[in-house]
Amino acid sequence: MEYSHISPWMHNVEELPVEMSTRVRLARNISNLPFPHMMNDDAQLKPVLDRLDDTLTGYRRIQMDTLQFEDKALMVEKHLISPLFTKRGLLSYINEEESISIMVNEEDHLRIQTMGVGMSLMSLYNKANEIDDEIESEVGYAFDDQYGYLTACPTNIGTGLRASVMLHLPAMTFGSRIQTLAANLSRFGFTLRGIYGEGSIPLGHIYQLSNQLTLGQTEEEIISNLDELKERIVEEEIEMRSQFKSEHLIEVKDSVYRSYGILKHAFKLPLKEAAKCLSDIKLGIDLELIEHEDFQFQKWIQLIQPAFIKMRLNEQNKEIASLERAVEEERAALMRQLLGGE
Amino acid sequence: MKCESCNEREATIHISKGNGLEKTEKFLCEQCANASFENDFSYPDDTFNIQKLLQSLSQHPSMHQSKQQPRQCSTCGSTINTIVHMGKFGCPDCYDTFEEQVPDIVSRVQAHQSEHVGKVPMKSRAHLQTKRKIEALKERLAQLVETQEFEEAVVVRDEIRALEQAGDSNGV
Repeated sequence: MEYSHISPWMHNVEELPVEMSTRVRLARNISNLPFPHMMNDDAQLKPVLDRLDDTLTGYRRIQMDTLQFEDKALMVEKHLISPLFTKRGLLSYINEEESISIMVNEEDHLRIQTMGVGMSLMSLYNKANEIDDEIESEVGYAFDDQYGYLTACPTNIGTGLRASVMLHLPAMTFGSRIQTLAANLSRFGFTLRGIYGEGSIPLGHIYQLSNQLTLGQTEEEIISNLDELKERIVEEEIEMRSQFKSEHLIEVKDSVYRSYGILKHAFKLPLKEAAKCLSDIKLGIDLELIEHEDFQFQKWIQLIQPAFIKMRLNEQNKEIASLERAVEEERAALMRQLLGGE
Repeated sequence: MKCESCNEREATIHISKGNGLEKTEKFLCEQCANASFENDFSYPDDTFNIQKLLQSLSQHPSMHQSKQQPRQCSTCGSTINTIVHMGKFGCPDCYDTFEEQVPDIVSRVQAHQSEHVGKVPMKSRAHLQTKRKIEALKERLAQLVETQEFEEAVVVRDEIRALEQAGDSNGV
């Protein structure tokens, strides 16, 4: 199976129970320039872009207005750019691994983002920090002695740091633990929310834990607090899973194997169903109820997203008018192929 | 086929939304599809909505100075009203221009924090050090004046001037 369109850094990622990929982003702005939403003429950024071009060698430079709608959607699904960036982003710099992306003119002039799996948040921060230093040596950042790095939205001032970790929390979702947890976390300046889609149950039971406050703590403090919280949530999820397993073995087993059956044999799969089934199987594997060699939850959750599936369809020159149906069929075909069905 | 939204351009994109029970389909041109895509991909509600917060702040008495002309940022033209409307400051200088309102806004969105303690850019590091040195020297100067040690005071005063001038010429 070829995964040529999955980001290279996603290849051979370690599959852990609960913990998925981690991300760090820094928000930075150039002094004496209006923030992007007030900038009438992108030419104002020209001198900055020239400096960036010189500094960020080895990065792919992607001008957003040269991209098609579907290309942008794909980048969003790879978390390389934000949904906001698809509307008014100017350009992005992306490294070969696609683990680093620098967005120019998102909500702030610069958003430096690093991603990884099985990497500590601290090492991701160190990488982002390094890039930040390089850029800073070339451009003048908007910085205030009291408020730190100045940002368009005051929710990002100070460090401009947002650290996040994706977590697979099926047991806490079934056990209706998420809402109380999220409410408690927000009291401590952290948020927990679904990463894909809206609604009460996020796609694939995947959540993103991140810091909400950016001022009054050092970067190291923000990260170590987040790490600590993450550990506690992982522990609780694992505990709830084993409790589920011991109290409702047949029900858990049933849903795991049903989902396995669906993915292996279905001919039409809506996104929501495919994500739920993948989540069930992942839970089954973590609980040692089912075995499947080379089951890659993180990668496959990405592969079933609409833009990824559409890209596969484009390769086969499908008619656009029957796209939705074709997407569901293609998604099912992909799953059958990956799980060794018909 | 014409785009269902603008009815002008050719429809090139087929969008279908559904929850299993209901399904809506649309045939759109790229421009209109982009617009609908933006709406679809907007983040789910933030746990706290900055715009709502700022709006409630704008009702706050401190935001209503009885001055004739509302203050405007000379760099970007923002007023406190546009900031409230956008939920964002217009430029870095707005933090200075609206220094009366900023502490209240920051304190509310950052859980009463008011002081950056994290990373300082290299360029500002020197500036911060100089600033702190000048503050310390000024204190010393005041002491010297008080104890009438004028000769020493002149030396310290010149030192302060030199540091301030060096700071100005470095653009800090």
